Amino acid sequence: MVSSGVAAPTRTEILGLYRSLLRVARDFCDYNIREYTKRRTIDGFRENQNLTDANSISSAYLEGKSQLAVAKRQSVVYSLYAPKVKSVMELNTPTI
Amino acid sequence: MALRTAVLRHVRIPVQTLTLNGSKQQLWSLRFMSSHDDHITKAEVIERVLSVVKSFPKVDPAEVTPEVHFQKDLGLDSLDNVEIVMALEEEFKLEIPDKEADKIDSCNLAIEYISNHPMAS
Repeated sequence: MVSSGVAAPTRTEILGLYRSLLRVARDFCDYNIREYTKRRTIDGFRENQNLTDANSISSAYLEGKSQLAVAKRQSVVYSLYAPKVKSVMELNTPTI
Repeated sequence: MALRTAVLRHVRIPVQTLTLNGSKQQLWSLRFMSSHDDHITKAEVIERVLSVVKSFPKVDPAEVTPEVHFQKDLGLDSLDNVEIVMALEEEFKLEIPDKEADKIDSCNLAIEYISNHPMAS
């Protein structure tokens, strides 16, 4: 199962990564980035859900890991430059 | 120095205790900083869990019952399962640790976990 020195991640690890990415997506203060990160996570995992080759599974997992690090860093950076007004999509006013 | 004491004597505010006769009872019954008083009932938990599951895009709302199993009965996969648990976290303002979240795979377990959680709101 082990190839090129990298062990294939377990099912629990993959679901854990999925959950962490969805969690970090919620932290963004900007509506658009929040929704994009969530959408990108879901699409990315769906795209790769039928992978069988251990090599491609671990490379997809590692890419997800690095994207998680990027998202964590960016959520901190963006929090320093938070938008002053909410997106119109977040307003709960009834439609006229 | 003499001037200073004279001024101080002049501007001193008399010490008096705050009277709370009427409002004291109310103050304590409110229990400030407490998150346990507004704990939700099990019936409310069931209703809100079901509405979260029903609003999940891939789920047929007619199939959702309090006993339903996400993957066996609703035809979802493990990724959908994670998404539902995340949606429940948002609904009840909770942070479910990964270990617990992995175990929640049916409405029954979700209801059980959330109604036993002290911070659920």
